[in-house]
Amino acid sequence: MRNAGRLLSCLMLPLAMPLFAQQDGPAYEDILRGFDDPERWLTYSGDYSGRRHSPLMQITPENVGALRPIWTFQTGTTTRGRGFEATPLVDDGVLYVTGSNNYAWAIDARSGRAFWSYRRDLPDDLTYGASAPVNRGFGMLGNKLFMVTLDAHLLSMDRRTGDILWDVQLADYRIGYAATLAPLVIDDKVIVGISGGEYATRGFIDAYAPVTGERLWRFNTIPGPGEPGSETWPDDPEVLARGGGGTWMNGSYDPELNLIYWGVGNPNPDYFGDSRPGDNLYSNSIVALDADRGDLRWHYQFTPHDINDWDSNHVPVLVDAEWRSEPRKLVMMANRNGFFYVLDRTDGELLLGEPFTGTTWAREIGPDGRPVILNDGSQGCLPDPWGSTNFMPPSYHPELELFYVTARETCATYVPEEPAYTPGQATFGGVVFIEPDGSGALRALDIHTGELRWEFTYPSPTFGGVTTTASGLVFAGDHEGNFIAFDAATGENLWHYQTGSRIWGAAATTFMLDGRQHVLIPSGTTLTAFALPE
Amino acid sequence: MFRVAGIGILFAALCLPLVWQGAAAQGVNPYAGQPRAVLAGGALFRAQCATCHGADGKGILSIDAPDLSLMWARDGVNDEYVFSVVRDGIPGSIMPPHGLRETELWMLVAFMATLAEGGGDAEFSGDAGNGRRLFAANCSECHRAGAEAGGVLGPVLTGVTRRRSPEALMQSIREPSGRIERGFRPVTVETGAGEAVTGVLKNEDAFSLQLVTEDQDLRAFGRDAVRQVARLGESLMPVFGEADLDDDELADLLAFLHGSQ
Repeated sequence: MRNAGRLLSCLMLPLAMPLFAQQDGPAYEDILRGFDDPERWLTYSGDYSGRRHSPLMQITPENVGALRPIWTFQTGTTTRGRGFEATPLVDDGVLYVTGSNNYAWAIDARSGRAFWSYRRDLPDDLTYGASAPVNRGFGMLGNKLFMVTLDAHLLSMDRRTGDILWDVQLADYRIGYAATLAPLVIDDKVIVGISGGEYATRGFIDAYAPVTGERLWRFNTIPGPGEPGSETWPDDPEVLARGGGGTWMNGSYDPELNLIYWGVGNPNPDYFGDSRPGDNLYSNSIVALDADRGDLRWHYQFTPHDINDWDSNHVPVLVDAEWRSEPRKLVMMANRNGFFYVLDRTDGELLLGEPFTGTTWAREIGPDGRPVILNDGSQGCLPDPWGSTNFMPPSYHPELELFYVTARETCATYVPEEPAYTPGQATFGGVVFIEPDGSGALRALDIHTGELRWEFTYPSPTFGGVTTTASGLVFAGDHEGNFIAFDAATGENLWHYQTGSRIWGAAATTFMLDGRQHVLIPSGTTLTAFALPE
Repeated sequence: MFRVAGIGILFAALCLPLVWQGAAAQGVNPYAGQPRAVLAGGALFRAQCATCHGADGKGILSIDAPDLSLMWARDGVNDEYVFSVVRDGIPGSIMPPHGLRETELWMLVAFMATLAEGGGDAEFSGDAGNGRRLFAANCSECHRAGAEAGGVLGPVLTGVTRRRSPEALMQSIREPSGRIERGFRPVTVETGAGEAVTGVLKNEDAFSLQLVTEDQDLRAFGRDAVRQVARLGESLMPVFGEADLDDDELADLLAFLHGSQ
């Protein structure tokens, strides 16, 4: 009887296919198409370029004033201030979201109700990599989600259930490693980076096989003895082995050049440089890596021999534009050191480096591509260790050729002190005195000159990210909890909504659903969806 | 400083581990007030705590890291409590656990105790009864203390001697504009309709301002209805010179505040 039943099932299968067909989830080709499908947002920045610029047109400068919240999701987690830094991924009406303390959810994008929730059982001796128990989101491929953890693992989950498919350790959390970024999925690789530059660690960028979790390659951001770049360090394997260079923010990808672009963090110790004379490559640099093998193709160092904790962990923004009357492939970055940079992304040639804050550190980048330092800290205050901007995503509007960045104006005095190198204990190497009254601003920069086109000021140094739309809108968040819309061309403030908690590191996501453009913003312990009235 | 810290840790390891076990059970810091332990604890503080809580322990507002100099005045905060928070962190929050040895933790606590701005062991020998009368006559229009009725323009002064030293309090009375805490900074808001409202700024963002006004009410303004916000350098609190309150009267006032609960 049972056999007969099986036979019947087999016979019926072809007829039943439409009912039971497995949904395979997005393929690599779908991620490659970026924003082509308006109902999807499949990777951290929406596409591989890091521009965070949506082609959607329904919400415009004219009607954004009518934007209304349609639901709020509460995480139930307890992180104060810094809570929700993730960019939700969107596919087929479902949001895939990570939260602080390695919670995660699949959420119905129409109602804000969860399909499943996940919480990792974390050890009680985490260091958080001297940061906070945050996470910036999933990577996604097919039915698999990918998430890094505070105890420095990489997980693969089934997007339909939240079940763990595989779990690999990236590094030993007990000596200061942690992981918080959203994995970058390209074809047959899951690319991740690591936190830990405030500890005696050595940073890296890794590629893993999506199906098995097998590690395919590793790029060490601090060279080994004798390797290229080691000449910028003391000839001491111990110093190299604890040289820092975290890679804790998402990179971007150029499929044509097959290059990954990634920002590298501070050398260790952060403030005490006497034990590591030299430029300390590849700290505070952008590196371009061959996606297949992880080989270094080129690098550019923004802050040689950093002693101010000015990590370069920013989203690289890839743009094709006319540059001095020639079409060029560009990569842009507004850096924690207070300069906005434009480089040729094929070879790393520096094309522009101009200040975007009132930093007194350096006023220009010399012809040799190195900063002309006017103030090493002895001439008054410098930008604080959180920098002139930070990891919060910037955005780029291609028609306006404007780069939008959240700027921080701060004033700090650094006092270096040689640290003790104890595994698992932070080695900042000194202290910083920060003036309490800083300020912030959303700034629109002309990419060809670095000149300020417009700004909107905030009463405190701000960590909110930026998203733009082709309709001519900028969505930004501030440190007082406002989610704000601006006219991208003029900077006119058009709308705001008080979310109730700082918008910290997060930037808006936008997509179409049932013919309505939705906009999402995480804040504190909430994720709120907005749309125009029906 | 690193060498000093090393000596301190060595000293502790050689001389004091025997005391600690019994002391821990009672929650007493075996190194409380010991200069070498405080030095060693200071080095640990700079290495492990200062990035978030500031080199002076006064917190960093923009990252929501609290002021540690004020915590000692809170009920239930003692050496044992601080020891356990540093060791275990605050689960789910940004405050991580710290894998320091117990001797190091106690030395860190010994240092953190020196950050307390409170009166510590200061003696308040003034006449609290007279202080109460002086408070009612001079201060209560804007401040409250204990069960005394009072105003809401200035901070509540109940138990303030546990949070501020006598010298700092006397300085605040003689020179109120010398140090004005956030939440009590004076502003005058001029509206588009021509109204001018003075008060203390409780909160603000890019779109709004929240004040307690001079006539002690809550008042909020949307920035689109505001023409100008003047941030005043002078505190709304009047200066009390020797002629207004002499040093003996100040001592009486502090004695009253010290007893207020």
